[in-house]
Amino acid sequence: MVSFTHRPETSALRTVVRRLLEGLITAWAAVSVTFFALRLAAGDPLSGLLSRGLATRAQIEALRLSLGYDAPLHLQYLRYLAGFIRGDLGVSLYTRRSVSQEILSQLPATLELALAGLLIAVVLGFVLGILSAWKEHHCAGKLSILLTGLATALPVTFTGILALYVLRSGYSYLPEGSVRPIQHLVLPALVLGFATAGGIARVVQAGLRDSMRKPYMLAVQARGIQSGLRYLWHALKPSLPPAISMCALQAAFLLSGTVITETIFARPGLGRLLIDSILDGDFPIAQGIVAVVAIFYTLSHIIADLLSFAIDPRLRRRA
Amino acid sequence: MKRAADLLALSWLVIIVGLAVFAPLIAPANPYHPIAEPLLSPREHFPLGTDGLGFDLWSRLLYGCRISPGASMLAALLTLSLGSLLGFAAAVSGGLIDRLISAVINAALSVPALLLAMLLVAGFGPGLTTVILAIGLGGAPAFARVVRTLSLQLMEKEYVYAAEALGGSRLHIAIRHLLPNAAGHIVSLATTHYAWAFMGVTTLTFLGLAGDPSLPDWGAILNNGRAFLIEAPWLVLAPGLAITLTILAIHRIGASFTEPKLPARIR
Repeated sequence: MVSFTHRPETSALRTVVRRLLEGLITAWAAVSVTFFALRLAAGDPLSGLLSRGLATRAQIEALRLSLGYDAPLHLQYLRYLAGFIRGDLGVSLYTRRSVSQEILSQLPATLELALAGLLIAVVLGFVLGILSAWKEHHCAGKLSILLTGLATALPVTFTGILALYVLRSGYSYLPEGSVRPIQHLVLPALVLGFATAGGIARVVQAGLRDSMRKPYMLAVQARGIQSGLRYLWHALKPSLPPAISMCALQAAFLLSGTVITETIFARPGLGRLLIDSILDGDFPIAQGIVAVVAIFYTLSHIIADLLSFAIDPRLRRRA
Repeated sequence: MKRAADLLALSWLVIIVGLAVFAPLIAPANPYHPIAEPLLSPREHFPLGTDGLGFDLWSRLLYGCRISPGASMLAALLTLSLGSLLGFAAAVSGGLIDRLISAVINAALSVPALLLAMLLVAGFGPGLTTVILAIGLGGAPAFARVVRTLSLQLMEKEYVYAAEALGGSRLHIAIRHLLPNAAGHIVSLATTHYAWAFMGVTTLTFLGLAGDPSLPDWGAILNNGRAFLIEAPWLVLAPGLAITLTILAIHRIGASFTEPKLPARIR
């Protein structure tokens, strides 16, 4: 129900601070989940080394004492949290290198890929969504609907390999020196962006169709405003906040997708590091990577909400 | 047009199930043993040629019908039961229990589901069973949240008020009134979720998290074929298409569940 009682507009600063505090709680929850999910699944996380034949029982006990894994779980949790705040994520079980160092060395590569993918996803998602609602009965619209469906159904594992195949078979046609950047960034970002765009396109399309049925759109039409402007401004504006929220939700897909694309395109990054650490049983690294990525995911939700607050004043009052 | 697509999707899934059941009868070779020279093209020998180790690709794909769709079915069932249980329990009991369950669900949702699943594999150790467990548990929070919202909506219905007025206990209302009315939605939700679980399982096996590389799972077959992309593209095309078509088919079936119920203007 729409309530017409007057609610005083809260100041922008207050809304922002409030959202940031909420984000802090979410980040704490995410870090706790990564800690407990791993520990509850593993029982004894160090026993993996024994079963893989990577260490003797005596070595493991020594490791347990030196790294503090002999303490009760709640104490380890508090230590982990305290360390996390200071930027200390523990050490790798093998190299004894600091996990934060390992992550920091791989983070830029993954961030570059994720941001490039996000850019492509947002542009492609909006273009496909707008075309499929606006030109519904034209070729362009039908093609957009088809592409949206494919984007949500095609697994990144397959599209990535297909893209790599096309690149490999086209090596000889490409100008000298252009192969590396294409394989390194352009193709992985395209593959990721296309897969992520599907969800965004769906929300944009649904939002546009929804606003086109609203009475104010009839009023806009009566004022003689052209169809293009009607769609791209009057109808699109109210459907922006849900589309932005969807972008943040799709960030989960995008971030997990970097693991796959990094593997396929032999690109260094957090994803490669994560898979290697899981296979080696080097759990502090796996735990650290997932926690850091979850924080980025939380951050994307905060940014999306702040953007929505900026666009739609009604949301500010409700929040 | 929609009907034809539904029929195609359904028949694809039926074929997969049929192939899975009769795999040992149909498969021309043992999928776990090399039978010929590696990288024979489909034209030379066997329906789909041999892979990099000389295994018969067709036989491996056939046995894969058992593993990939079956494993993701198990994972989806785990999600379905755990997610529904948590969602229902939260909505029906309300109060402190609801807050507690919701807090856990929201905390788990702050980590992307596939990454949560990977972390669980890190804890359990690589293997097909752990991949199933991880995907099943990783998908549960999102499922529980939707079931909770759905049950809360249903609890506002008149028949629930009527049952309450007649003195029905919470448990009675949950079992006799909420469950039958939520079942349809939950089944359609579970179908959509099955597509996610399928994609998740094949992704994790693709990344080698099932441990054993000789496992004839479609994701693992796709991964093994990557090394011979140019010499033998059919090694990735066949499993890739199998995965894609299955996801498309599940999506189609899931959509056909929800479509007729929606009023025309929403469609």
